[in-house]
Amino acid sequence: MSMFRAKKFDIGCFANIKTIRDHSKRKAFEAAEPERQALRYIIRNTTLPARTRAIAQLQLTQMHCYTRPTQIRNRCILGGKGRGILADFKMSRYNFRLEALAGNLPGVKKASW
Amino acid sequence: MSVPRARLLDLMKARCELFSTTFNPEGIRTGNKILRQKLKGPALASYYPRKVLTFRDFYKEFEPLNLMIENEEEIDRLDHVAALKARGKGTPRKKRTADVVPKKK
Repeated sequence: MSMFRAKKFDIGCFANIKTIRDHSKRKAFEAAEPERQALRYIIRNTTLPARTRAIAQLQLTQMHCYTRPTQIRNRCILGGKGRGILADFKMSRYNFRLEALAGNLPGVKKASW
Repeated sequence: MSVPRARLLDLMKARCELFSTTFNPEGIRTGNKILRQKLKGPALASYYPRKVLTFRDFYKEFEPLNLMIENEEEIDRLDHVAALKARGKGTPRKKRTADVVPKKK
């Protein structure tokens, strides 16, 4: 969905098409979030007429899939991997291990007991 | 000792006024919890670090000072391309539009 992609490449870390896509989704979600929350409010408000709520439901489901928060997935900023990501470090488990052993992550220390 | 419901409701109302919360004794779902949620878009959108400075920006910044600036990566790339061309393995030349005349049937 190239219409969501930034006109000028703006990722500073490792980038492949998957990370670029994920980045576009994040930005699309950020832009559409107020609208989504407004629709969600209308849907959840039982004091509003049923018709209004049904229309809001339709509108919410018909929004572009890139504006959905569930489309966003944390990816590794060093290798773009999508699985085994430590969210605190934004890294895949193997890259995390390498960086930690190299001492690039402040406060991270190999456990031994 | 039981307290009448009306009295309890009065208490609830007073409490709501005092702490400025919504008085909703029936527990009707008004969806206010959606409005109370914080927007998480900015936090999510800042996941990947942004590009700060490209070589071109750097060059533009220092061009007026007449300093020697070398982009090593670009020089390496040009060397590589030149080597390929010398071996005859470079990219093919672009076709000229004048040469390409569609055949008439």
